[in-house]
Amino acid sequence: MILKVNDVSKHFRGVKAVNGASFHVEEGEIVGVIGPNGAGKTTLFNLISGSLPVTSGTIEFNGENITNQKAYVLCQKGIGRTYQVVKPFGGISVLENVMVGAFNRHNSREKAVENSLEVLKRVGLYEKRNQIGNSLTLADKKRLEVAKALATEPKLLLLDEVMAGLNPTEVKEILPLITELRASGITIVIIEHLMEVVMTTCDRIVVVHHGVKIAEGTPKEISNNPEVIKAYLGEEVSYA
Amino acid sequence: MMIIQTIISGILLGGIYALISMGLNMILGVVRIINFAHGEFLMIAMYLSFIFYAWAGLDPYASAILVVVLLFLLGIVTQKGLIEPILDKPASTKIFVTLGLSIVLQNLALMIFNANYMSVSTPYQMSTINLFGIAISVPRLIAFIVVIAIVVLLYLFLQNTMVGRAIRAVSMQRQAAYLVGINVKRIYLLAFGIGTALVGLAGSMLMPIYSVYPTLGASFVLIAFVVVVLGGMGNMFGAFYGGLLIGVIESLAGVLFSPGLKEVVYFIIFILVLLVKPSGIFSRGKGSEEVGL
Amino acid sequence: MKKHLLPIILLIIAAVYPLVSNDRFMLNILIMILLYATIASGWNILGGYAGQLSLGHALFFGLGAYTSTLLYLNFGLSPWLGMLVAIVVCVLAGLLIGIPTFKLRGPFFTLGTIAFAEVVRHLTLFWRDLTNGSMGLNIKYEPSFANLIFREYEYYYWLILGLLVLTTLLVIWIDRNKIGYYLKAIREDEDAAQTLGINTNKYKMLAMVISTGITGLAGVFYAQFNLFFEPESVLHANISNEIALIAIIGGVGTIYGPILGAFIIIPLNEILRASFPDIHGMNFFIYGVLLIIIVILTPNGLFPILKRLWERVFKKKQKPDDEVVTNYDLESK
Repeated sequence: MILKVNDVSKHFRGVKAVNGASFHVEEGEIVGVIGPNGAGKTTLFNLISGSLPVTSGTIEFNGENITNQKAYVLCQKGIGRTYQVVKPFGGISVLENVMVGAFNRHNSREKAVENSLEVLKRVGLYEKRNQIGNSLTLADKKRLEVAKALATEPKLLLLDEVMAGLNPTEVKEILPLITELRASGITIVIIEHLMEVVMTTCDRIVVVHHGVKIAEGTPKEISNNPEVIKAYLGEEVSYA
Repeated sequence: MMIIQTIISGILLGGIYALISMGLNMILGVVRIINFAHGEFLMIAMYLSFIFYAWAGLDPYASAILVVVLLFLLGIVTQKGLIEPILDKPASTKIFVTLGLSIVLQNLALMIFNANYMSVSTPYQMSTINLFGIAISVPRLIAFIVVIAIVVLLYLFLQNTMVGRAIRAVSMQRQAAYLVGINVKRIYLLAFGIGTALVGLAGSMLMPIYSVYPTLGASFVLIAFVVVVLGGMGNMFGAFYGGLLIGVIESLAGVLFSPGLKEVVYFIIFILVLLVKPSGIFSRGKGSEEVGL
Repeated sequence: MKKHLLPIILLIIAAVYPLVSNDRFMLNILIMILLYATIASGWNILGGYAGQLSLGHALFFGLGAYTSTLLYLNFGLSPWLGMLVAIVVCVLAGLLIGIPTFKLRGPFFTLGTIAFAEVVRHLTLFWRDLTNGSMGLNIKYEPSFANLIFREYEYYYWLILGLLVLTTLLVIWIDRNKIGYYLKAIREDEDAAQTLGINTNKYKMLAMVISTGITGLAGVFYAQFNLFFEPESVLHANISNEIALIAIIGGVGTIYGPILGAFIIIPLNEILRASFPDIHGMNFFIYGVLLIIIVILTPNGLFPILKRLWERVFKKKQKPDDEVVTNYDLESK
């Protein structure tokens, strides 16, 4: 079990963003986290990646209790994440962006360049490697976001709505990347609103609503689950 | 007795600090820019008050309305002409533009008035009232009463009027306010105007108490900043209480240590706050401020 | 290393200059330019690369000057050793100041640095027994190598040129390696930087102490060159502002930007100072106006603009207008 989230809560001055959520992820899985807007999914990611401290509960990574450890420590231990609203390093080139990630595992410049170029080839940004971060299209910025996290050589990768804002063609282009990442040995947890993406790529799905897990299972099980359907009833499930 | 006197005196002066800081806070919270020239606006207000006194014989309290209106206009002009065009530029640009403005204004004052200290002379300046055996300086008392009145008015304005609520909306969630149809640019103008007007009022209240000189702004703007951090950025009432607190600390420090070390004392307090509770003594914890903490 | 060709040529010219010119006035100006270029380059590591805009660096300039001078006046310690002590003191000071101020982001960090600088200035004025207060410190003119007091300006010139070269080599090293990339990441997006494994506090602190050490070193040089200083001349906010301005106008986050900036701002100051001797404040007034205009027109400084002009003139490759290329092509070392 690579990740275990135990009864984790996060309160913000009375708002219970995450309220006793528990789930686990096995090595090599692709697990999807879905739920209506405001369900607490990104907050959950923030807790796992160390960007925010928990109010209560524990998180275990590879058997080690990592609750409340700092984000950079967790990255060094092997947890990578992307942001829903992309955070490219706009003022420097694509290659330099990825190199920042590569330095996580390699101290030498040459190694960092070498690894970064490999990563860029994998995500399909090699041709644009000398372009400045700010000049990329949204789809490419999303690729860059993944590339940066990938360069840190994570064992667990948290993808937060990678598809948001992309048109159907772009989605189709990025989709194979996710399965290819798993094939290369990375465990993936993905927050997504696009049902087709979730249903086709995920081994298991965790459904979150009001900060708690309300259901868990295979895509087939989830799509038939009355609780899940109720949670989505009356709320728009957004498509990209 | 002496201690109580010092404390009271400090609270009264602190009211003015509070006013200056609330002006800074308004601009900071809404427009999200640090106006390095904020102290110079105070200086301008005081010079204006002095001019009205010297040329028209107007008591600073009488000319206060004029000064407030003029500073309000100055704020709007500054926002429109200087700040608006640079809002999307990098942080260093914003800092240096307002820094440049502060240099320009300081030296303009120097060229016009030269470096001498100017002050007014009014009949009540030195008078004190005796309340329960404590001597209270009249100008400070008047200033404090005015400050309280303004704070109440400001509160009512922000809570109960459409415009006031619009201002609060912009300061909390700029994007959402824009989407809801609030003319954000106009709110910026208003906020900058009000923030500067508050400083204008502070200047009028200060004139019977302090002398004005071209570099006066420098000391006050630092106090304002300390107060803003102390009270929590964007927190109007934090700024009010923070101002009072700083006034008291300054008074006590001047008496207990030495007037030359006043600044050092409240800076030390400021540093301690930074180390212990960076979001401010009076704030409610880690908030969503992008600009500050 | 061919992209450093021009700077190397300029360096040779600069090194040889005092041998071919007798103009003492020019030499004086050049020394000031090189001094500020050194400080601004050091500042740039923190302000340009890491994006933490300090407007309180005069604190370290003055601290360096006072440290070595007080040791020299009271204990006869050679300023050469005083330089080392000053660096250590300024590094420690940078650490102490960094701890509270790095809790602040953006302009609030800036205000924090201003506050610290003001406190130190007030303390220095107040603590007359130690620092001689507003009267300042005088170093007796007793030229000798051990005293770091030279009879000829040339030696000062070569000393500061040497310091600038050392600083620039350090900046080049930072720029090329992991630390430079990490600092730039922190500048661009501190949160994203943390999730990529960067201990942002550690690296910000590193940038801070490197820059404060360099600034302190420069302060010692100034003390030995001028042989007199007081709080107004080494701890004043104007100095802090000037340092930051030079780096920003020249080109923030670039290797040679601050040097370029010094060659522009320092002569500008001199010209303004000389132009309006009668009207008190006119020169600074114009300075403020120019400041506003220049900073609006060149938000990233002049160096990137010049570089692009250079490339368009000398490199015949036609780059399409919408493709923005960064500083250098990493694969051609």
